[in-house]
Amino acid sequence: MNEQNRNLYTLRGLLDFKPAGPPVPIEEVEPAREIVKRFATGAMSFGSISKEAHETLAIAMNRIGGRSNTGEGGEDEARFRPDPNGDLRRSAVKQVASARFGVTTNYLVNADDLQIKIAQGAKPGEGGQLPGHKVSDDIARVRHSIPGVGLISPPPHHDIYSIEDLAQLIYDLKNVNPQARISVKLVAESGVGTVAAGVAKAHADVILICGYDGGTGASPISSIRHAGIPWELGLSETQQVLVMNDLRSRVRLQVDGKLQSGRDVAIAALLGAEEFGFATTPLISLGCIMMRKCHLNTCPVGVATQDPELRKRFKGQPEHVINFLFYLAEDLRQIMAGLGFRTVDEMVGRVDCLVERHDVGHWKARGLDLSSVLYNPPVPTRVGRRCLTKQDHGLESALDHKLIDHAREALERGAPVTLNLPISNTHRTVGAMLSGEIARRYGSEGLPDDTIRFDFNGSAGQSFGAFLAKGVTMVLEGEANDYVGKGLSGGKLVVYPPRTSSFQPEENILVGNVVLYGATSGEAYFNGMAGERFAVRNSGATAVVEAVGDHGCEYMTRGTVVVLGKTGRNFAAGMTGGTAYVLDETGEFAKVRCNRASVDLEPVTDGRGRACPTLDQGAASRPPTDAELIALLIARHAELTGSPRAKWILDNWDTMLPKFVKVFPHEYKRVLAQATAPAAVAASVAPTFRSAGGTSEGADLKVGATSVGAVVAPVTREALGG
Amino acid sequence: MGKPTGFMEYTRELPARRPVAERVNDFQEVYEEFPEQKLRLQGARCMDCGVPFCHTGCPLSNVIPDWNDLVYRDRWRDAVRALHATNNFPEFTGRICPAPCEAACVLGINSPPVTIKNIEKEIIEHAFREGWIRPEIPSHRTGKRAAVVGSGPSGLAAAQQLNRAGHWVTVFEKADRIGGLLRYGIPDFKLEKSILDRRLEQMTREGVVFKTRKHIGHDVLVEELAGDFDAILLAGGAESPRDLKVPGRELEGIHFAMEYLPQQNRHVAGDTMAGQILATGRHVVIIGGGDTGADCLGTAHRQKPKSVHQFEIMPMPPLDRSASTPWPLWPLQLRTESAHEEGGTRDWAVATTMFSGDENGHVKQLHGIGVGPPPKFEAIAGTEFTVEADLVLIAMGFLGPVRNGMLEALGVKFDARGNVECDANHMTSIPGVFAAGDMRRGQSLVVWAIAEGRQAARGIDKYLMGETRLR
Repeated sequence: MNEQNRNLYTLRGLLDFKPAGPPVPIEEVEPAREIVKRFATGAMSFGSISKEAHETLAIAMNRIGGRSNTGEGGEDEARFRPDPNGDLRRSAVKQVASARFGVTTNYLVNADDLQIKIAQGAKPGEGGQLPGHKVSDDIARVRHSIPGVGLISPPPHHDIYSIEDLAQLIYDLKNVNPQARISVKLVAESGVGTVAAGVAKAHADVILICGYDGGTGASPISSIRHAGIPWELGLSETQQVLVMNDLRSRVRLQVDGKLQSGRDVAIAALLGAEEFGFATTPLISLGCIMMRKCHLNTCPVGVATQDPELRKRFKGQPEHVINFLFYLAEDLRQIMAGLGFRTVDEMVGRVDCLVERHDVGHWKARGLDLSSVLYNPPVPTRVGRRCLTKQDHGLESALDHKLIDHAREALERGAPVTLNLPISNTHRTVGAMLSGEIARRYGSEGLPDDTIRFDFNGSAGQSFGAFLAKGVTMVLEGEANDYVGKGLSGGKLVVYPPRTSSFQPEENILVGNVVLYGATSGEAYFNGMAGERFAVRNSGATAVVEAVGDHGCEYMTRGTVVVLGKTGRNFAAGMTGGTAYVLDETGEFAKVRCNRASVDLEPVTDGRGRACPTLDQGAASRPPTDAELIALLIARHAELTGSPRAKWILDNWDTMLPKFVKVFPHEYKRVLAQATAPAAVAASVAPTFRSAGGTSEGADLKVGATSVGAVVAPVTREALGG
Repeated sequence: MGKPTGFMEYTRELPARRPVAERVNDFQEVYEEFPEQKLRLQGARCMDCGVPFCHTGCPLSNVIPDWNDLVYRDRWRDAVRALHATNNFPEFTGRICPAPCEAACVLGINSPPVTIKNIEKEIIEHAFREGWIRPEIPSHRTGKRAAVVGSGPSGLAAAQQLNRAGHWVTVFEKADRIGGLLRYGIPDFKLEKSILDRRLEQMTREGVVFKTRKHIGHDVLVEELAGDFDAILLAGGAESPRDLKVPGRELEGIHFAMEYLPQQNRHVAGDTMAGQILATGRHVVIIGGGDTGADCLGTAHRQKPKSVHQFEIMPMPPLDRSASTPWPLWPLQLRTESAHEEGGTRDWAVATTMFSGDENGHVKQLHGIGVGPPPKFEAIAGTEFTVEADLVLIAMGFLGPVRNGMLEALGVKFDARGNVECDANHMTSIPGVFAAGDMRRGQSLVVWAIAEGRQAARGIDKYLMGETRLR
């Protein structure tokens, strides 16, 4: 690689070192075992690479105190506990990417870094794609999706449309796991310095600048070849802007993009980086021979494939990665000694130790002026040029401290607790910190439903119920803002307008945009209208709402959504799994509102058209039919929120049922058709309910001609009138 | 590339070898026919690697994945075109090359590699059968004249390339037939000479002039050569054999391999000769465990010996690829040639101490001893042995080009290893005089010789014309 640098394939090949002082003896340079703690491996998802490769990387980095990265694919919970021999397969950095694959509360609390991936060097501005044939049972499980269904990551995060949104997400993640560093991954591009300044102000703890060289198994070739710029440009710009605005000292800067030698790392440090990422080289040390067949799932050395036969050929060991990184660190130490540096800290930002080469003979290099890359902003000495302090995330003012306090008995012994309290819109991310505490203690199992119940009244701030864990029920009388139920992880949310209000709930906005983004399980009932992108990237939650804005259920992969009224346009765009049921009274939904590219629209029947709204899932001999399911969900909605519309629909069930449209994704349909036990597949993704109960009155609900009690009753042919 | 999943579905398969009992009775090719349908599946095993290590394994940089794919797709004409883009004589390499390409094959990391060599052979044979190999006569002549000294693979490759570049080429060969080691040295059962003649016919029709029984420095003076030609290529090989200087060496019946093997080639060609060295009814000992030794072994078997031993001074290589030569390097690994299947015994880590003879001055016994590993090869006390030996064939390798007139007369410089020294364009210290093949590299493989010949042709073409389009 250094030879390539010399041969002018890279910007760093045009630079030479200038010593900071006289050389120091190599024994005085900080040891390699300290240096390797600054190393991270790149974000390569389990899915793009094999389980064996992914876990070997994690074990290796954990052994040396570095960090490995989950990539976009979630992580198997079995990896969170150490192996019998002491090795830990848990990825230290957990990525929160635009598709939020596998991002549950439990995932987030088992992390040292939570990395928000804004973009990726090799494909800036694009999402990724994992072809359906690479989505095995394991991968689908970890990503909360369905085997065989292709997975698309949307280009943007749907909860990040401005820097304030990013600040909100950073705050959300920090609430769930206050011990974790929140890291933001940016791609080198013109203007990344400005973006980084915003990110630093948004309280990111770590900023990663990614160069264009990233090899990726999930990029279109046009992007691999023609998009992005080198990390040298992105890093130098970021360092300069952060220093000039006195923002540098509160963040750690990390860089990656084909770093392959001690020289590369030295130049990166001098340009301002404190941590260094490696992806291609660790994979090569594990056996990758750059076949470029990752996307075909035929990697013959078991690195980038899910094929069980090929995975057996994987011969990589953690020692291989560790050896390589240690050799690289020793290479760096030699350079450090020659330049007069004893520690990497001393080197960070010392761009005055880099000069342009003057022996470059190539005619194209004649017009080059690298002075802006090597610019050293003149700032007062009090302005730090590397990370010196921590960010102030403002967590002390979170409402959750009160909630956690009150829920102590529940957290420690599982005893039920309830509380009524007011809420205002300065209370953001309510429920997340509490959920983190639950996940820490009880993993993804959580607590039994309704163990912890909070009844709020007022206007809730952003991210109400974000990452809410199983066992927590939050009821809100009032309204909420954006991101309600973001990342819902088994909890229950109920929102309805004030009892004293006089407007029609189904015609007024109750919750904001991007509700239930990336939810993986749990239930949500909204007695009112939601904004845009309702249930975008839903991976398993159940929700009932009375109307939605544009782009409802976009990129949904699992779960059940019932809309009791109008939708906006482009409903079900990119939806590949799960089911939605929309009450289409005017026919407009089927004709213009729904995006039919990836879904079919079907009527909802169950033979007799009758509904049996009580269903004990455990005793059922079969999963519910569509009509049964809708009726059950609407009944629960009515019960939990008092929704007048829900009651009206149930009262007029016979005329209303035919107006429901089932939104059935093609891919999901195909997978069900191919499955040997389609009922089992459907059952595995159908929502489960422990009981239909919940109302204290035990009132009877009328459903058409059948009167139903609130008591659980098994489904029988007789009950269906058959 | 064939099928993306081909390497998972099809196993490596080569043509079968004729039964030993049958094949030791003649000097014809050892391999049986291989159906084309099967060959196409072998082509399908190629994975079309993003980084094709076979390219770097092959000295000719054959574009292997391309023609593997074309074979799979039944596109034989395109395949032979792709093959000839880098290799003048695939019919030779497809038979006798040790296939460093297969040693570098990525599939070979954890599975049997693609049968590249056999695919190469079948492509060119298919092409010859179909009559697709026609003379490629250059569209116009440059008027320049090049002399090639030596008609082995490097000389022939250079001659064909230079001729196609438009120069007039004359090949001088000191022996009575063209081909160098291809003709005299490599046994017929490894390379039938009709294969060679077939290619020489094409070259003759293309305009290459061959002159046999012309030993430069003896029959033709170098001054004449320099006067009549604009460039001279020295491709005379590395014929100087390593000798075994032990007591008894001068006894009758002890011969260099290269005295023995060419005689059998002549016999197969129909020549009659007196006093041919024959293994018939003898106890044969072959000193040297390499390819030449194996050639002696196979030849000896076909002459019906009483016994055959093959001795090697190096320790036995491991059965699997040695850790010191990991993929994609050429492996240090035990090789079993077709000749070894036919009989004889192999002994490793032994050295000869002396020969003893009968009353007629003919060798009768070989005395040896076990030795330790290189570089000392220390004799191990207590391991002395004696074997019956009335024919000893010395196949201990070659030290470099012979210096018996031509090289001295030209005055070329030699490198530290005694080979003719050249610059990056294959030009020697004498302007206009070039060298290629074993004469420049020291003893090596046929595939390297062809690569050398092609590269030297580039250098000569550049020298004669100022630039070259040869590759």
